[in-house]
Amino acid sequence: MKQAQFSVASKLVGDAAVIYPKGYLNNLSGESLVKECGIYIRRGITKIVVNFSETDLINSIGISMLLQIMEDLRNIKGTICCTNMSKFLHDTFEMLGLIQHMTVFPAESDAIDYLKVRTT
Amino acid sequence: MSTELKKALYNISALADLGQAITSESAFHEKIQAVFYVITGTFLANKGAILAYDTSSKKLETLTKKGFASTDLDPLAPEELLPLGKNEPCLLKDAPFLAVLGAEVLVPLWVRDQFIGALLLGDKVTAGPYTPEDLELLKIIATQIAITLNHHSLFVDLSDKLEENHRLYEEMRRIYHGTIQAFAAAIDAKDAYTQNHSHRVAKYSSAIARELGWNDHDIEGIYVAGYLHDVGKLAISNDLLNKVAPFTPEEIAEIRKHSTLSHNIAAKIKFPWKNVEDMVWHHHERLDGHGYPDSLMREDLSDGVRIITLADSFDAMTSKRPYREKMDVQTALTELRKCLNSQFDNKIMLVLCRVLDKEIKGELPEPEILPNLDKNSDLTIISSLLEGIIAELSAPPSAA
Repeated sequence: MKQAQFSVASKLVGDAAVIYPKGYLNNLSGESLVKECGIYIRRGITKIVVNFSETDLINSIGISMLLQIMEDLRNIKGTICCTNMSKFLHDTFEMLGLIQHMTVFPAESDAIDYLKVRTT
Repeated sequence: MSTELKKALYNISALADLGQAITSESAFHEKIQAVFYVITGTFLANKGAILAYDTSSKKLETLTKKGFASTDLDPLAPEELLPLGKNEPCLLKDAPFLAVLGAEVLVPLWVRDQFIGALLLGDKVTAGPYTPEDLELLKIIATQIAITLNHHSLFVDLSDKLEENHRLYEEMRRIYHGTIQAFAAAIDAKDAYTQNHSHRVAKYSSAIARELGWNDHDIEGIYVAGYLHDVGKLAISNDLLNKVAPFTPEEIAEIRKHSTLSHNIAAKIKFPWKNVEDMVWHHHERLDGHGYPDSLMREDLSDGVRIITLADSFDAMTSKRPYREKMDVQTALTELRKCLNSQFDNKIMLVLCRVLDKEIKGELPEPEILPNLDKNSDLTIISSLLEGIIAELSAPPSAA
């Protein structure tokens, strides 16, 4: 079955950037996710929400991209929230031990509410 | 499903990701970058680098990295890695020099007995240790990367050799053509009236061959034949070649020897093109069998011979000779037309006319015939004549 091309959309909600990856995060096209987050980080945004509602699958390449975003945010003492994760994604992050390094919410609105009260 | 099983499945999946990255049709650097993502994503490394060993500079060249500053890897000397196990992951505790680099694991990359490069990884983002299972997996991955780097290196070497061979071939070709042109200059120098005749016959012949749809190799062959067709005249006396008064039968016989002499000289050369000797030998044959030296008939004359014959006659007619003034182009074309079927080939004449017509109309980017013709020619008249000949020769044969 042909995979849809990976793409990224984003928007600013208050002082947080919400990123919407779409498609299978499994090849170099996933670099666009890192770049999109990088754009907000360079603009001084320290709160990023990644809404995975349209990304059910991820492989080692995608994990590497996500690590990069986590490290970029850690370097500026920022926060990453992941929302709307499929069971596969959640289990994978948990098994790898990454879940402790991100804040997970079932829905995007929960993450936005959580970030509203955070100073960094 | 237990965490161990999930981790094992993830590792198997990572190997599949690695295979896909290595065998993709992407450019080498994209391929290495994808491989690097697989590794850092598999081991959750906060730092990493893939380095290739440059055999000429004897230094390690960074292909891709993450987390290391540009100078962090400079202290890494290949000789420090040589005593380590081939494709065996080496931890910081076993190789203290890794501390200088800020790396946690190093794998020297080898293919058989050839040192290929190194793979470096930093701590895990999760702060966990590299487990024995991690190191086993890393060894498998390192072996695959080493093979990939080695293949690329072999490919680059092969490409360099191919490029060098191509350069040498082009150089040899230039020398070859230079030698042939020197020959032609020697022929033409014997006869003040035929200066550049060989050059023009070569040009006209290749222009006709190109219009006929010949391939570049064969066009080059007829170009060389055009240059050499009169090489046998080197053996004919200057006095005879430049004689103004009519030739005696003996003198005609002597001059006619030149095509066989040309063949004898050309036959000594092993040309990379087919039929050069044949084109040189028979450029004075005629379709009706009244040519020389072998009185060959129509069916024995190749297209190459027919082209050189026509190009040679066309240039002879439009050039000044000791015994006559040069003809204007339209008179020469009219004379050639009179000799179709008996001396010259209809198809080749049609193609010559088409090329010249296109050149006059500016339809060919690099004209080869027109620049050699009389500058005072009336191109309108010539073009009109050419269109008439083209129409006549293109018409289907009428029923008898």
